[in-house]
Amino acid sequence: MPTFGLLDAGAVEARLPLMPHWDTEAWELPRAEILQLAWEVPPATQALLPRAMHPAIPSYATIVVTRYPESPVGPFLLAQLRLMGRAGAHPRGYVLAAVATTPGAVTALRERWGLPAELGGVALRRHHDRVMATVTRDGAPVLEAALVNPEPISGGDVQYIHSVTFARVMEDGRPVPSLVQVDPHYVFHNAERGRPHVDRFDPVGWSAEPLRLVFPMAATVTTCDTDLPRIRFVMHPETPVVRGTRRIR
Amino acid sequence: MKFGLFYELSVPRPWTRESERTVYNNALEQVKLADELGFDQVWAVEHHFLEEYSHCPAPELFLTACAMLTKRIRVGFGIVVCVPQFNHPIKIAERTAVLDILSGGRLEVGTGRSATWTELAGFNASPDITKKSWDEFVRCLPKMWTSETYSYQGEFWSMPERTILPKVYQRPHPPMWVAVTSPGTELDAADRGLGSLGLTFGQFAEQEKRIAEYRRRIQLCEPVGEFVNDQVSTVNFLYCHETDAAGLATGRRMADVFNYLASQLISAREAYPSKSYPSLGLLPQLRRQATGPDANEQAGEGLALGGPERVMRALKKWEAVGVDRVNFLLNANEVIPQADVLASLRLFAREVMPAFQDAKGPANGAGGGQ
Repeated sequence: MPTFGLLDAGAVEARLPLMPHWDTEAWELPRAEILQLAWEVPPATQALLPRAMHPAIPSYATIVVTRYPESPVGPFLLAQLRLMGRAGAHPRGYVLAAVATTPGAVTALRERWGLPAELGGVALRRHHDRVMATVTRDGAPVLEAALVNPEPISGGDVQYIHSVTFARVMEDGRPVPSLVQVDPHYVFHNAERGRPHVDRFDPVGWSAEPLRLVFPMAATVTTCDTDLPRIRFVMHPETPVVRGTRRIR
Repeated sequence: MKFGLFYELSVPRPWTRESERTVYNNALEQVKLADELGFDQVWAVEHHFLEEYSHCPAPELFLTACAMLTKRIRVGFGIVVCVPQFNHPIKIAERTAVLDILSGGRLEVGTGRSATWTELAGFNASPDITKKSWDEFVRCLPKMWTSETYSYQGEFWSMPERTILPKVYQRPHPPMWVAVTSPGTELDAADRGLGSLGLTFGQFAEQEKRIAEYRRRIQLCEPVGEFVNDQVSTVNFLYCHETDAAGLATGRRMADVFNYLASQLISAREAYPSKSYPSLGLLPQLRRQATGPDANEQAGEGLALGGPERVMRALKKWEAVGVDRVNFLLNANEVIPQADVLASLRLFAREVMPAFQDAKGPANGAGGGQ
């Protein structure tokens, strides 16, 4: 059978987001701009993936930078680094780290969806031949990357993979480490595809050693109406998801 | 309706020095028995880098061994990936001709273009161009087999005039097929007069509609070869046991393992949005069947699993919707012991095959190969 992730959950438990309950309300997020950049990464990144999940063959990661012009906590930008894998038979992106631009967004994303968001700087800039993203943590750049040479494609050709976050969730008065499926919907207004290009990627700044961006895959930038929905499925971090999945609603 | 075998050659972890050799040897023993039992064809895929799922990057070598061990079963090279970074068309023409000679004219040639990022990126091939290169290759191949000398100037490859040797043994040439997973590819097959080599499982209603459209369309085709191959083939699992309960339990375990392994593959579209891959093809269906809420209902439809009567009923339905050939996966990751696989083949040949007229007929090429 396929191999599994090798993450020692105990080693990261202390810094996991704390969710007070599962009763998260959905957010509607209209006219979001999403830049997604994908690279193959070394197989050693299996050490970052929970034991409940299978690594992708080959291993790959996505950087997702989103501008949300409207949200219940106001406009904000969010950058995520995701290690792609499989939850059972389903492709999923395990969120290794995230940076959001407002304190309100950081708090809500951590408490409602288990996103490991930290406060930082995120910028998304469109030039004539590229869409550039920069991310800073504590004033230091941790990402400078771009989609190069965008070409229009159909939104129907874009397949966004759902996310999995790792959080502690209060159940019966105690925090329980759990993997949380975050599965937004998308209605595309436009989409472009290009080549991913990276000038700076600091794996330490993303808490993602030994991840390196090795082989470029594809980049997309879209405008779409999306959401952060209510949580439906949670998984035990150490049990294969075909046995360790629980439906919340 | 005729019956065949279909090999991905999946190899379970942990991989030892002997594990791949065991899988290959088991498959060869199955093919030898199938030949004796009257199965009509054996197909082997071309896949690269697909851990556990398929350790079969050189099907023509495996099929050569099959041909040497057998007398009448036809050998299906399928599919050969028609993308220049994988296979140069001259090499395809040469290797298939050698296999046709060595097998005494028993070759069938399936064509396709790969559907995984794992393979396409591994060969540095752009998903954007695979359909175009496939189209170019399939139009060249019959002429390379049959023309005394050949030259070509194309978008993906070119050659000055040469004599491509050897020539195929069958006249005019081996039957040609197209791998069909994504909806619509069966129409590409029909337009070119090529057989539809279905690689999806189950769902009679959908298949019936697609087969009917293929049949309608191929009547007005412009064949790329010297004859029209209007056969429809599909793939299925086979585990036949004296009782339904044992046959279903073991067969479902095999199907589940196969579907689970397949669902681990990175489809071209997952990694690289492109109109060249408008659908996810086979993989979403297998993911649903592996774990979805409809797993029990859908995975059972049309699968040749269970006792002989149940298997026969499933295959009669396929026959009724217009399928000419069914190729069986006999195992996945070696979850079924070899002795049980061989027993399943014997039981199927004894109890099920006689119910299908011509199932044990002479092995001729589809639609014209002699």
